[in-house]
Amino acid sequence: MTDTQPRMIELAHVSRRFRRADGQQVSAVNDVSFIIPEGEFVCLVGPSGCGKSTLLQMLAGLLEPSDGDIAVGGRQISGPGPDRGMVFQKDSVFPWMRVIDNVEYGLKCRGIAPAERREIARTYLRHVGLSHVERAWPRELSGGMLKRVAIATVFANGGRVLMLDEPFGALDYVTRHQLHDVLLNLWNADGEGRRRTVLFVTHDVDEALALADRITVFRAGDQVDDIPVTAARPRTTDSLLLPDMVAIKHKLLRHLGLDHAAPGGEAAA
Amino acid sequence: MAGGEQVAARVGDAVKTAASVAGSPVATPRTGGAGHALRFPLRSLAAAVDPLRLVGLVLVVAIWQAVAAAVPPIILPSPVSVARRLATDFLDAPSLSYYGLTNPNLYGNLLYTTQNVAIAVTVGAAIGVVAGLFTARFRLLRAVIDPIMMTAGTVPILIAAPFLLIWFGVGRFSAVSLVVFYVVVILYLFAQRAAGNLNPIYEDFARTLGASQRRIVLDLLIPATVPEILGGLRIALAGAWGLEAVAELLGSQEGVGKVLEVFAGATDTEGIMACLLMLGLTAMVVDTIAGWLVRRAARWNAGLTGERS
Repeated sequence: MTDTQPRMIELAHVSRRFRRADGQQVSAVNDVSFIIPEGEFVCLVGPSGCGKSTLLQMLAGLLEPSDGDIAVGGRQISGPGPDRGMVFQKDSVFPWMRVIDNVEYGLKCRGIAPAERREIARTYLRHVGLSHVERAWPRELSGGMLKRVAIATVFANGGRVLMLDEPFGALDYVTRHQLHDVLLNLWNADGEGRRRTVLFVTHDVDEALALADRITVFRAGDQVDDIPVTAARPRTTDSLLLPDMVAIKHKLLRHLGLDHAAPGGEAAA
Repeated sequence: MAGGEQVAARVGDAVKTAASVAGSPVATPRTGGAGHALRFPLRSLAAAVDPLRLVGLVLVVAIWQAVAAAVPPIILPSPVSVARRLATDFLDAPSLSYYGLTNPNLYGNLLYTTQNVAIAVTVGAAIGVVAGLFTARFRLLRAVIDPIMMTAGTVPILIAAPFLLIWFGVGRFSAVSLVVFYVVVILYLFAQRAAGNLNPIYEDFARTLGASQRRIVLDLLIPATVPEILGGLRIALAGAWGLEAVAELLGSQEGVGKVLEVFAGATDTEGIMACLLMLGLTAMVVDTIAGWLVRRAARWNAGLTGERS
């Protein structure tokens, strides 16, 4: 199914090592290779410290890989660029710009005319349900609203690859689920053939099951599994109870060392 | 179902927002510059008639008046006579012309001092801010400049005055360069700290959005540091008045400091206190304007608004 799609992201033997303060070498990402076709929604899952955030930082161009090659859209990446948008774990919305100016910022950097970029920004603010606060300062918004602004900013900038680094980790249950809908609606907004490629880092298994076309699992810097999620969209609460989904969930929990209730004694790590 | 959740999301977020900013409605469009300009005199007027502030002022004046009634005017003139003296001397003080002052009035000398303070603060702030922002971003530069500024900051600046008088004479330049020196050190520290406090996540986000280094300086570094830098400017300004006046006192042909020196020579306590009152009132007015500017520049930052004084 995905073979017909062009390759959007290609990682070949990518590694990243850090030198800790005590001088010891730590390997955050270990010889990782994979290919993500255009339009796919991929979740990177793993315990904290498994290297998934480091991998995203390298894809964003904020970190250099120690070894290996990263290509996006067929071209080797060098440094950050507007072709790859990133929603950070912590709030990154500029507090000194009003909401609308934040959403326009990437377009402004790329020299889009003021009237045109305002119109684009308004469109995306409407998509994330924030039209009523376009003139507000970020400090006047809640944590969930700030995430909406960041998502609108990144989508408005038009990059074909979107990376989200545990974006909803700090939010409450209800807000998180609302933002899943916002994100999936935006992803679908341009029609199935024009979907952007999404890399979504999370340690929440249910979040990955609700969002992903494919879940790739990391542990201690290694890619340990790669699981397609075939359940139809839009997914509901019931989708997560389908036998396939439950099986995937057990598999993921086993990878995280959490599946204590697995029947049949197959809970070996 | 999805539509319903969407609405619930908006309502939920809106309620949270309303709770967190109690009293500042988000949805209403903000008033523009005209609205702020109109509110400014009203707000400072309201601050001026704050009954508690008035109590303190009235108390000081009352004690002053009581003590003045008990001692001879040459030791402590009464507040009323000082105010009257300021009113008459402000536009015309013929006695000053005997001492060779160009302007035989307080007004002209106040203008001279104010100009010097304005020049010194402008030049000093420009140097200090640029140096502070640059050193915050380039570690090598910081390693070179930091020790210089730290040394300069620990030397009591007034003791450089005789030295500057030898170099530049009794003209405008020596007093101004003294104040410039002081302002540079303060704003260097404020600008550097402000830039250092900028969370690196903003720069990372800007880079992923496609911002160039130039854009990062223009759109991130400068606006993010403006409130803190203006706060430093306000502090520098407060000190600048005193330093300028003392520098003039030590050697100048004009200015409030020179007038003070003349009055002191003539043991004219009333004249001295009139000068002090004038300088104090001027500094207060300028500080109020500066405070308003800080609040305006920091509108986006609730933590700074109205808390710098």
